[in-house]
Amino acid sequence: MSNPKIGFDQTLHEYGLGECWEWKNGSWWLTAPETFNLRATTRIMLSLEARFVAITAMEREDKEIRLDYQWDLDGQLISFITATSARQIPTIVDLSPAADWVERETHEYFAVEFTGRANTIPLMTRAGDAIGINLHKEIAQ
Amino acid sequence: MSFRIPIGPYHPALEEPYKLELVCDGETVSDAVMNVGFNFRGIEYLAERRNYLQGITLVERVCGICSNVHSLSFCQAVEQLTGAEPPERALHIRVVLSELERLHSHFLWSGVAAKLIGFKTVFMACFALREKVMDALSAISGNRVNYGMNRIGGVNRDIADPQAVLQILDEMERGITRTIIPIFLEDKTVASRCKGVGVLTAEYAKAMGAVGPLARSSGIGQDLRKASPYAAYDRFEFNVPVETAGDVQARLVVHALEMMESCRILRQALTSLPEGPFHTTPPTAARFKVPAGTAISRVEAPRGEVLYQIVSDGTDIPKRVRVRTPTFMNMATVRFTVLGQELADSPLIQASCDPCYSCTDR
Repeated sequence: MSNPKIGFDQTLHEYGLGECWEWKNGSWWLTAPETFNLRATTRIMLSLEARFVAITAMEREDKEIRLDYQWDLDGQLISFITATSARQIPTIVDLSPAADWVERETHEYFAVEFTGRANTIPLMTRAGDAIGINLHKEIAQ
Repeated sequence: MSFRIPIGPYHPALEEPYKLELVCDGETVSDAVMNVGFNFRGIEYLAERRNYLQGITLVERVCGICSNVHSLSFCQAVEQLTGAEPPERALHIRVVLSELERLHSHFLWSGVAAKLIGFKTVFMACFALREKVMDALSAISGNRVNYGMNRIGGVNRDIADPQAVLQILDEMERGITRTIIPIFLEDKTVASRCKGVGVLTAEYAKAMGAVGPLARSSGIGQDLRKASPYAAYDRFEFNVPVETAGDVQARLVVHALEMMESCRILRQALTSLPEGPFHTTPPTAARFKVPAGTAISRVEAPRGEVLYQIVSDGTDIPKRVRVRTPTFMNMATVRFTVLGQELADSPLIQASCDPCYSCTDR
């Protein structure tokens, strides 16, 4: 499997991310270092006309939520692994409207707060329902 | 004066529940609010509490129409983690099942679209052809839905009589070329109901992450069977139909032409079915442990890209099963396609994105 895209790699060098790629099990993976900037990376992906695919959330042992942001770039899947801080992470909806429903369901399933959103209207659940319904241990509201 | 018109959750056009609140100025739609989740079953949560073999059965029930793609994606992801390589015959059989399922889904959608257009003769023709697909699926798998064909490392059943499926294929191709394509592409009544209606521009389709025939009707030509081949798709020749108008008629055309391409793939797969086994490891290990790691599998379902991400911690139960379905991305585009349209066209516009709420809600 070839490198995702030379220009993409070079652009990410500016953010200190250029040489962190690993191809494994169906995706290019980037485990985001401290310098990772989610919104800046989103802008880069959009400038390359990548398609937003999904966010996969997963509870970590330290109770933060691992978030894998997935993009399709010319048929190749690119996954950025990052995590919440105090269960919060900036929204990317204002940059990529495709992330709206995904952020809303991630909020419901894993109690992640996407900061900067105007609102987080329930998607699968209903107003007033508990959030964090997919967490292995329920979060008290 | 504006009117707020709630449509659903019991829908006039479709059998599955969702709710669309349309704000209308007279007969013109000026805004729309979507509500989904009426079919929410917590499939991801449930899959993280069952072993991998039970997981195959569970995810196949995400959807009654594209059930095969769910178990296929799940098995492909587990195969990446375990290193199990399905034999060549199994890969061909997976293609056959996937394309029959695409035909089944496209015939169903075409029939529903024809009914909403007001062309019930075509509805009957589509459903008669769909029955032939169901016969083929039933002959191969023993089931009309939830085929139970995929397993980790191959498929559960062989195709004993490819010739019988090829005969059914002949009948389907005749029906598509003689009835569906001429009507969808050339009929004036269809054009008057569909041309310029419910336009989704390429710009919006891209911004909303639209996939599948909906995106391909708006000029976005990606199809994972070509862009990121899986199973045995890289062995076969086929085209990816793309239209640029982005209206309901473009969606009809793309679906009709995709049906012909599915027949083309099926003919190649069935006539070149390799000899040999159709699975590798015995599937009966009740507690099937999977090496720790993360794997992603993507499949081009009838409605577009399905993504499964599986995270294993080395036990027999997945730590995380992520399911992202095509309609989950496509449904949000409806808000843009109904804006400025006639209220009476809204059921057809909604149905034209080929929605599946079972997939969306999971």
